[in-house]
Amino acid sequence: MPFNGKSGKFNASIGAVEVGCGEKAIKIGGENVLPFYTFDAPIENSPKVGVMITDLGLENEPAGVKAYYEGCTTMADIAKKAAAMPGADFVCLKLEGADPNGQDKSVEDCMAVLREVVDAIDVPLVIAGCKNVAKDAELLTKASEVAQGKNAIILAAKEEDYKGIGAAAGLAYNQKVGAESAVDINLAKQLNVLISQLGVAPSNIVMNVGTATVGYGFEYVVSTMDRIKAAALSQDDKQLQMPIITPIADEAWNVKEAMASEEDMPEWGAQEARGVGMEVSTAASVLASGSNAVILKHPTSVATISKMIKELM
Amino acid sequence: MTLFDRVFGGNDAVYGLTEAAIDKAIAEHGADKAVAFPHTAYSLPCYYAVTGTKVANLGELKTALGVVKTLMTREKRLNDAFMSGVATALCAEFIEVLKYLDGATPYEEPLYGHLADATIRELGVPLVTGDIPGVAVILGSAPTKEDAVALVKSYQAQGILVTLVGGVIDQCVEAGLNMGYAVRIVPLGKDVTSVIHVVSVALRAALIFGNVTPGDAANLMKYTFERVPAFVNAFKPLDDVIVACGAGAIALGFPVVTNETENIFRVPKSLIVQEDVDKFNATSLEARDIKIKITKIDIPVSFASAFEGEIIRKGDMQVEFDGSRKDCFELVQTKELTQIEDHKFTLIGKDFDEFEVGSKNAISYIVDVAGKNMQSDFEPVFERKFHSYVNCIEGVMHTGQRDMIRVRISKATFEAGFRAKDLAEVLYANIKNEFDAVVDKCAVTIITDEAECSKLRHEMAIPAYDRRDERLTTLTDEAVPVYYSCIMCQAFSPSHVCVVTPERLGLCGAVSWLDAKATNELDPQGPCQVITKERVIDENLGRYEDVDEAVAKFSQGALEHVTLYSIMEDPMTSCGCFECICGIEPCSNGVAITNREYAGMTPLGMTFGELASMTGGGVQTPGFMGHGKHFIASKKFMKAEGGFERIVWMPKDLKDTVADRLNKAAKEVYDIDNFTDMIGDETIATDPETLLEFLTEKGHPALKLEPLM
Amino acid sequence: MALKGLDIFKLTPKTNCKECGSPTCMAFSMKVAQGAVEISKCPHMSEEALATLSEATAPPMKTIKVGTGDAEYTLGGETVLARHEKTFVSKPRFAVRVTPDMDADAVLAEANKVDYDRIGERMHAEMVFVDCNGDADAFVETVKKVTGKGKVLVLSCKNADAIKKALDVCKDEKPIINSADASNYAEMVEIAKAAGVVLGVSGKDINELYDTTAAIEKLGFKDLVLDTTGATVKETFATTVQVRRACLAKDPDRTFGYPSIVNLSKVAPDDEAMQIALASVFILKYGSIIVMDTMNYARGLALFGLRQNVYTDPQKPMKVEPGIYPINGGDENSVVLTTVDFALTYFVVSGELERSGVPCNLAISDAGGLSVLTSWAAGKLSSTSVSKFIKEEVEPKIKCRKLIIPGKVAVLKGDIEAKLEGWQVIVAPNEAVQLVKFLKDLQAGGEI
Repeated sequence: MPFNGKSGKFNASIGAVEVGCGEKAIKIGGENVLPFYTFDAPIENSPKVGVMITDLGLENEPAGVKAYYEGCTTMADIAKKAAAMPGADFVCLKLEGADPNGQDKSVEDCMAVLREVVDAIDVPLVIAGCKNVAKDAELLTKASEVAQGKNAIILAAKEEDYKGIGAAAGLAYNQKVGAESAVDINLAKQLNVLISQLGVAPSNIVMNVGTATVGYGFEYVVSTMDRIKAAALSQDDKQLQMPIITPIADEAWNVKEAMASEEDMPEWGAQEARGVGMEVSTAASVLASGSNAVILKHPTSVATISKMIKELM
Repeated sequence: MTLFDRVFGGNDAVYGLTEAAIDKAIAEHGADKAVAFPHTAYSLPCYYAVTGTKVANLGELKTALGVVKTLMTREKRLNDAFMSGVATALCAEFIEVLKYLDGATPYEEPLYGHLADATIRELGVPLVTGDIPGVAVILGSAPTKEDAVALVKSYQAQGILVTLVGGVIDQCVEAGLNMGYAVRIVPLGKDVTSVIHVVSVALRAALIFGNVTPGDAANLMKYTFERVPAFVNAFKPLDDVIVACGAGAIALGFPVVTNETENIFRVPKSLIVQEDVDKFNATSLEARDIKIKITKIDIPVSFASAFEGEIIRKGDMQVEFDGSRKDCFELVQTKELTQIEDHKFTLIGKDFDEFEVGSKNAISYIVDVAGKNMQSDFEPVFERKFHSYVNCIEGVMHTGQRDMIRVRISKATFEAGFRAKDLAEVLYANIKNEFDAVVDKCAVTIITDEAECSKLRHEMAIPAYDRRDERLTTLTDEAVPVYYSCIMCQAFSPSHVCVVTPERLGLCGAVSWLDAKATNELDPQGPCQVITKERVIDENLGRYEDVDEAVAKFSQGALEHVTLYSIMEDPMTSCGCFECICGIEPCSNGVAITNREYAGMTPLGMTFGELASMTGGGVQTPGFMGHGKHFIASKKFMKAEGGFERIVWMPKDLKDTVADRLNKAAKEVYDIDNFTDMIGDETIATDPETLLEFLTEKGHPALKLEPLM
Repeated sequence: MALKGLDIFKLTPKTNCKECGSPTCMAFSMKVAQGAVEISKCPHMSEEALATLSEATAPPMKTIKVGTGDAEYTLGGETVLARHEKTFVSKPRFAVRVTPDMDADAVLAEANKVDYDRIGERMHAEMVFVDCNGDADAFVETVKKVTGKGKVLVLSCKNADAIKKALDVCKDEKPIINSADASNYAEMVEIAKAAGVVLGVSGKDINELYDTTAAIEKLGFKDLVLDTTGATVKETFATTVQVRRACLAKDPDRTFGYPSIVNLSKVAPDDEAMQIALASVFILKYGSIIVMDTMNYARGLALFGLRQNVYTDPQKPMKVEPGIYPINGGDENSVVLTTVDFALTYFVVSGELERSGVPCNLAISDAGGLSVLTSWAAGKLSSTSVSKFIKEEVEPKIKCRKLIIPGKVAVLKGDIEAKLEGWQVIVAPNEAVQLVKFLKDLQAGGEI
């Protein structure tokens, strides 16, 4: 008697969201099964991999990242090179320099960088803020305008600033609104409801439900994503059917395992390999938990995760 | 003359002018001459929004005028007046667009005229966020130029976008007022028809931000009414054309406030006569329901949660108010909207600088609130926040509540200039900010006069507290129309849902039915949602179809059935925050309760920790249930199995804590005296056999009840 | 459907005889319902009751024990498909692969460099996967080299003679013989039975794996693990997930109720980053033994961290040891910051402190392993608990008298100051990410 496996296909599905335009536009979401469960039903849109670059250039990047971008002198060069990274589906520009606790660059300066990147590449674009709520409200509102016509994801609108960013990105300038919440299914849902109430169509919302690096309370990320997918698929909860995008690079390269130098931790071995380890492990884990796209930065990570997705699809 | 006559007359006059202007233009330029406003994708935005048709040339404009004519019905019904108002506005747009023929630039500094689409996209965002809380349209000439400037500045200070039409522009120019888009004062034009440029902003906002389909006039007006917080201030004299335009504004949901008293007809909430121009601001905000956010509390010291834990020692103290020695109280009272002047502050008695340094005095504060959605049940919810508000002031310490408060003000804070009005400001600003969903108006009275404090405490405050306590005790599950869910704990207990009823507060002991109700009203998308209780399945068990549905929904399907009053059948789940756990003790046919503070063994053979691991995490474990301490003496405590008469064991401390209430309830319900004396504790027994002996000796009622299993 | 405690209680003798080790029949029943105790521990159950209960309380997935002594591990016994439903119970274990043509000592030495403690848990590769590539003698030689090294052996070899010889060497260590397939299972069952070891089963696809497992069960042997590795990554994932899902479904198919072996050296050979990525996927999705080329810190720091997170009990937070943790070379004159012993809080706060570069001491008091606000609400973080800890543990060792407390419990400031004479209490920001700027500002202002 052969194995009688029951299909885990659901009647509901995750919404599909198109990002970017033209030939290189991508679609994320749309599946009606759990992540990579292609044995239950085909998954039309495979998860996507993005490459993060920042307006701060390459100075603080690990050697492998620097080496990949060698010869790039302008943000346009860097953006083009990022778009061409093997395995990359999209580029994420993080306007990190805007952070008032960091370089505190003016919104105008950041927009100049954004314009340069917008003009340089034709792959889909994700624009991420500096995480300072007050600054992002202004920065990302303006960014939505500057990137008009790119159908970009604006990352992100949070509970504190969703109105301005949601209205600018989702209503005024026809971008996709990234709804960011802090690793809690109810907060994620609440934010989706609030952004929808502004008038933003669900097909223009993607979620960043928050993440952590593996080892750092990552169980909350797993359970939040598991529960969101379960609610979206088995309960047909429309307010949780937006696809999920998860920025990994920043988190993964900012933990001790990736940052400690070889002088400080000689027994740990090569620093860069540890960073890649944290990045691919975290990325693979969020994809297995239901993320529809990840944002990475190291060429090895991008190549590995993209290959893993292909092999699993 | 009736209002209808004035609107229709004004409309007819403008229509005549428009027709003449279009005919003249066609005669000069021919019907094929292109016509459109610059920098817009919508040609004539208002006409396009209302009809869905884009006008391209003068010939089409003439056709469009025919369409406008069809709106001009002359029945004396409200709708005819509104539609004539809209027709007047569209005529104004036609007249204005003719000014832009051949790429003309009819408006020069400081006038703006037509605004570009880009400006609307830019404006739309702060309008959606509330950063621009409203749009004022000021029309005509104020009584004096000082009045004009004062009114414009009052709106500007509130962040409201001010648009100016007509004589008021010259008045502001004369007064040297700095104007322009950057400072949110936009002079549109001097002809009354230029008012269409602000209407154009509102309608394009509906198309861009509201996804309203052009031509869907009903949704267009719904959007402007609900989402565009605009209003009109029209100075006298009002001619028929302005009245007709006003009808158009009202049709879009924008109230008109005027100081005209001659030949005018008041329409509640829509056409409001306010003779005092100084009060235009307040009247307009109230009519359009605009609430101004308070971003910074204007007091001489800091206000932050970092100061919450400050202690002011005697030596550092300027003045102290002590409810244990003097008559003090704090009270929130609900009033009618008309009874309160928003932001009013009253001081009865001395200010802080008139007290002797280091002295003990009386203080009371009464916070009057009013709002369309305000309910007196919220009063205690607000009041409980006072402790945190006052404590967050740098150099001010607050303890206690109701009429047992103590407040100390430090010397440094006093020297920085902190006075009674600042204390009032803190209360005002926080109440308005935190509870803006229900509070429209708020006024604060501070009383330091001892005699007055004493009088009001006994005549007003104590009766108010008594009323509330009375309300709490009479608030039963049967008496309320709905229950509430609470999922605050789902972060760590994903499938748990609390059903909060008046007689069963959340198992953490922290969320009462009133709290849940207030949370729901203040944050409708938040953790507390309404659960109806219309479809009862079994009253005794507390089983409702509505409750089951809600529980299934909020637990994402993990839980399907819950009873409110049974511990044996589908008992309510627990997150893990429970104060107490009760479980059935089979030997004595009763239940034992243990609490978090008690680490020892229970007659169940399990400690609190062991019990917690089975009952927590949103798992249903028949025979066991987490709950709050308060629930123990509730008439709904395992009502389905006979009620709290079943309690056979509790840790001694817990027994002492609940003794008064439990004994009182036992007397009332079962006519048992000193019920707690029959209940075992750890000093009597921690094993079921010894407990049973004790219970038998005491004649505990549980022994005679129907078997639990 | 698992039985509720009360249903079990009804079948007990209700005598509270305590012979089962529990003080009451009720307590015993509740433990059985949780799966913490076997029903057979009660000597007074009627035959009828036992029969009813064993069927109903039998776990859908077998718990398999492998190895001995310190190197004994429990595999399987899971009851849920997602950790939020209850908790995962048996951590996946990592095996490093050796073949007869490798220098087994070198492979072990390399892998053993990773052996550290993280929040009370030892992190190292617990197993060795010995892959036979034909030569039986060479295989046995390799097995000899890896025996007695404190690792559980997984012997992957289908040659019955070689397996027998290898078992002669290592059977006392309770290895797994990953040997059975459709062609040889009867013989392999005999070998496993005779040696008292766990048998691994594989098949060319999921159907053959199912049939072979069913056939082995018919022979009365149930100490099994299932090698769910397929020809490709995709097939491996599909088989591993479907096997676990079948046994934990509402209507369980217990034939698949065994732990799994996932061999990444086979489906992603020589690709370290890919093995890390896939190992992460299989930690989350139902791998019980994960085989890789080696163990090193690039792999281990990520994978052990992930495993520790995912296999925590959602209701029992991870705790760090209370004590003083100097950061950035903090000494007795450096400022003291305090927070709770919840591991996540500790990691996040210490990470930010390190990033600030400011020398300081992080004083962690016992707060029940809860986060700041939760422990404060539960009364486990109070002015008394903090001041007691500072007086008893910090004052004897640290001279600095400035204490920084979490912004979320600013309300404790006055009380702590009142209880700690000579200390100045400073309130930190609400969020850890704001600590870097906060500390740098304090340092620039000369306050610390």
